[in-house]
Amino acid sequence: MSQIIERVRQALGVQAGDGRARQVFAKSREFLECAVAQPSAQERAGWMESIRREALALKLHLHESPDLEACGEAVAALARARDPEWGTLKQIMRWSDPILDELGLEHRLAGDIAVRTVPMADSFSPSERQEFRREVIASYIGVTTADYLLADTASLALLGGPGRTRTVSLVPSIHIAVVPDSRIIASYRQLLSLLSARSLPSHMTVVTGPSKTADIEATLVHGAHGPREMHLFIVAS
Amino acid sequence: MEQNPLKYKELAAKAVQDKQLHKALGKMRDKVGRNAVKLYKELPTGAGSREAAKEVRRKIVDNLDVVLETLIESIRARGGHVHLAETDADAVEYCLAVAKRFEVRRVVKGKSMLSEEIRLNDALEAAGIETVETDLGEYIVQLKGEAPSHIIAPAIHYTREQVGELFAEKLGVPYTSDPPTLTAMARKALREKMLTADMGISGGNTACAETGHVTIVSNEGNIRMTSTMPRVHIVLLGIEKVAATLEDHDILLRMLTRAAAGQKISTYVSYVGGPRLDAEPDGPEEFHLVLVDNGRSRILADPDFREVLHCVRCGGCLNVCPVYMSIGGHSYGSPYCGPIGAVFTPLTRGINTCHHLCQGETLCGACKEVCPVDNDLPRMLSLLRSKLADGDRRWNVKPHSRIEKLIFGAWSVVMSHRGLYDALTALARAGQRLLPRRNGWIRHLPGPLGGWTRGRDFPPLAAKSFAQRWARRSTARRGE
Repeated sequence: MSQIIERVRQALGVQAGDGRARQVFAKSREFLECAVAQPSAQERAGWMESIRREALALKLHLHESPDLEACGEAVAALARARDPEWGTLKQIMRWSDPILDELGLEHRLAGDIAVRTVPMADSFSPSERQEFRREVIASYIGVTTADYLLADTASLALLGGPGRTRTVSLVPSIHIAVVPDSRIIASYRQLLSLLSARSLPSHMTVVTGPSKTADIEATLVHGAHGPREMHLFIVAS
Repeated sequence: MEQNPLKYKELAAKAVQDKQLHKALGKMRDKVGRNAVKLYKELPTGAGSREAAKEVRRKIVDNLDVVLETLIESIRARGGHVHLAETDADAVEYCLAVAKRFEVRRVVKGKSMLSEEIRLNDALEAAGIETVETDLGEYIVQLKGEAPSHIIAPAIHYTREQVGELFAEKLGVPYTSDPPTLTAMARKALREKMLTADMGISGGNTACAETGHVTIVSNEGNIRMTSTMPRVHIVLLGIEKVAATLEDHDILLRMLTRAAAGQKISTYVSYVGGPRLDAEPDGPEEFHLVLVDNGRSRILADPDFREVLHCVRCGGCLNVCPVYMSIGGHSYGSPYCGPIGAVFTPLTRGINTCHHLCQGETLCGACKEVCPVDNDLPRMLSLLRSKLADGDRRWNVKPHSRIEKLIFGAWSVVMSHRGLYDALTALARAGQRLLPRRNGWIRHLPGPLGGWTRGRDFPPLAAKSFAQRWARRSTARRGE
């Protein structure tokens, strides 16, 4: 193990502990400051324009909702209008998140479509994990929120954590993300800057539109292995 | 898949006749290759983006020991396992050991050129483990029993009709040549595999040392499946492919996706930092990062070639290379084809063994201009050729051709002695009358020079050389 590091040192002609680490991990001031940049109203308006433009090109369905009430109604209508890709069961799996609680999907869809929430616990037994896995696979829609929405590419940053599992935005055929407009930031660079100032969870995914491939004759096709359809609801605060 | 770089000439000769191949590759050139440089300029760093990315890569590679140590520490702190593999065999053995411990019967793989380099699939299959490639392009070449022909678009050499026939034969589905339908068929077939595999193996695009994450980009979502659904996830990463900070990721990933696919950002950029936590009901139980040397530290030690380790494996140089466009990826006989392969493969598999690769490129410079980290591949190709010409102890290179070396030695003597040069050209002028002609051009040169005229004619020496005519003209003028 350390043999290879030692060989790398010899190859580079350097010594261990010679103080290079500080320079290697140093960040530029400009980078650190972009985390706290305060956008003007004009910039914010530009962000929405950019998201609309990018979403169109990505085949990312964009919905702008005046409040969570309207958003909940729209999400429920969407769920009713869509059919499952695998099997016939209509079931939704959603992150455990206060914003999604407020959508009231459970009572809006009561009797029609089962809405399940990612379980919260300090630990999960193998059988509980198996059970959760089965439920996610059985769901045709996954609903999440996002920690940040990147204006320049219409990308969602999904940070892992309790109740915010990896599979909900991945395994169901349709991914619906509900994001308050206060979470819009400028760019991927700003995201990285913000993340530098906090500790990162065990996993994070930046999602930009539905899954796609161009592996046959470089022809773009949407719907590869991840969700084949994606909806972004931006909710005014 | 047995690949042999010594078959270069044979395979290339076949490929240059393959119009279908050229049509397929032309799409990559037109859709991605020609747009890359334009896309770089859209970044805030503008026209200097390539240089900015190069600086970041240089910083990392020049301090690789520090970056690796920090990465290893951070990943372990997150509960992940790290293994440093000195050789391909070492890396394979480690993966097999993990598979054995988990009693793995099926592996799903995300695209990894490094896994091709260490020939992992063959080893897994030999151990009785079903190994399924999940990237659509990789899946196609695997069904066909072939190796990938492009670093990021492995099945680019196939037409939609050929893919349709392949799926009809192997998957028992009705024939179609419609890419969306074919993609949906693969989606269905592979979903089953991805949801039931015990182990996921993927490559990585980079890693973040300070936070302890491996960074993986994909458009299809197959790599997210591979890293999330099975009980154990192994990432294979070359020791040089790491990054120090999140700030490094900014320019590197933006350049990577532009160069590789003409995209501002991939559909998914995943930061994978170890196994699932107790409070997470999904994710792998174990996470392993295998950092593979396999000849890279040797390259690192040579300042003339260290630059090739800056490569981010975007495949951008393939899409603009006139040689790759003519001969396709398989001719190179190595997982890494195109200009980058022509430098990297000889350095890792032997310069003599892979001499065709660096000798086959044209040194036109297109690869350097498109490279997102401004890698000077033409310089390194020339250097490899000079080592082949003269031999080199450090790299264990034998002079490729003693006769060639002798001829050029003699040529250099002739060129530096006027009298000798004139005498020899006079001799050649007399001798060329005996050679067969076509439209005034020489059709065949004698002896070893015959290779030159195999596919083209040679212009004969003029009756009088320029020097002779010039001398006569000046004499005539003086006489006026």
